Amino acid sequence: MNRDEILTKILAIFAVNFEIENPDPDENLGEAHEFDSIDAIELIREIELLLDTTLTRQEKESAMGIRTINQIVDYVSDLAAARA
Amino acid sequence: MERRVVITGAAAITPIGNNRETILANLTQGVSGVEPLKSDGLLTGHIHSKVFGTVGEPIDYAFKRRDRKTMGPVAYYACETARRAIAAAGLEPAFIQSGRMGAAFGSTHGSPTVQRGIYRTFFSETDARLTSIGAVDYLKSMVHTTAVNITKMFGITGRVISSSTACTTSSQSIGFGYEAIKFGLQDAMLCGGADEYDTTTVAVFDNLLACSTAYNETPERTPRPFDRDRDGLVVGEGAGALVLEALEGAQKRGAHILGEVIGFSCMNNGGDLILPNKEGIARTIRSGLACARLTPEQVDFISAHATATKTGDVMEAQAIGEIYGTGPAVTGLKSYMGHTMGSCGAIETILTLYLMRSGIVVPTLNLENIDERCAMIRHPEAVSEMPIRIAAIQNFAFGGVNTCLFIRRFVR
Repeated sequence: MNRDEILTKILAIFAVNFEIENPDPDENLGEAHEFDSIDAIELIREIELLLDTTLTRQEKESAMGIRTINQIVDYVSDLAAARA
Repeated sequence: MERRVVITGAAAITPIGNNRETILANLTQGVSGVEPLKSDGLLTGHIHSKVFGTVGEPIDYAFKRRDRKTMGPVAYYACETARRAIAAAGLEPAFIQSGRMGAAFGSTHGSPTVQRGIYRTFFSETDARLTSIGAVDYLKSMVHTTAVNITKMFGITGRVISSSTACTTSSQSIGFGYEAIKFGLQDAMLCGGADEYDTTTVAVFDNLLACSTAYNETPERTPRPFDRDRDGLVVGEGAGALVLEALEGAQKRGAHILGEVIGFSCMNNGGDLILPNKEGIARTIRSGLACARLTPEQVDFISAHATATKTGDVMEAQAIGEIYGTGPAVTGLKSYMGHTMGSCGAIETILTLYLMRSGIVVPTLNLENIDERCAMIRHPEAVSEMPIRIAAIQNFAFGGVNTCLFIRRFVR
């Protein structure tokens, strides 16, 4: 998956799972959309399904500092590259 | 320090309606909320009882995603009744979030629907990584899910009590909330209970031969508390929420006062966990009367627990007869909607409040031929006008837990 494809998938997850439509790629999701730690855990599960992989504890913990859509796309791109 | 405790908001979701007008109309017209048991593709094929007290009136939930995401069906019921009760009470967010208000709310076992989904994943052969188990499934299913979804939705920061004692869950919620205010620990409490549609509970009572099975083709004819031809309880669903406040605070803000809680008792049979116990019930009633500083003659109406089991109704009738004689009118409100489990104490308290404020009593539905062993108490034969100044609400649970609440029409 290239970056655009990942972005499309992530936005679809946000629309369906979190009812957040087309968020600004650089806005703070917590401040703008009440996206919280419970949502982050839910998102990690969706990312595992998206990449058909199991994330390590360290990989999951590294996601906890993510705040924006662009950061999520970077995170998923790195995970995908590491598994390529 | 002892303070008077009043009710300033109440709301219920029941098999016979979700608002005062509909519920009263169904009570006075003798309409039952018992319907055929819906298939769940798992247990219903094995259950002999094919009836259920079902919430049928649609509910338009307007919850934000922030609140919805930790709710299973039972929390939806709980939060909706809490929302309506708080709105009716007219409490301001600043007070609700001040720490002076708490929540006492429970259910029989959280959300069985969500729990069943988790177990389905455990035993699934197609989801080895258990990815179907959501991050919030525990929050949706845990036993105190109703109480804390309510505190989250309204920002309640006071004490949390989440009773889970089966059929006395919400009568305990009201009683413990009453005590918290009476003794000055909180100024207000949101109290109640909820239970969702659940066939596991039906299966449990069915296995104990306690469920009604003879009226599967005519659901509206069961349960039949105190009736000669009763054959067991009917499991139901629903929720009830009440706002309790210290009288002084309620009067200060000009709240509309629906009634007053004047006494509560909670005792245990001290023995068998299932068998009804007349002495245990009688002790609980006497303890409640003492708490409310009442003599039996002062009680006008009793909402009996009256599940329509063969022995339970007899034990309750005899205990009532021993203490009250034929003084108060006694109605088994479960006859209209089945046994709503963890919510029954709150729902029956709210329905009693409705009757009290309307000045009417209703008969026990389906009571056509009084069992002679239950005949020593006064069963209303028809809907009739009757002022209810003081009422008792009785509830008993597996585990030998008994509660008795006393409420009074508000007098300044």
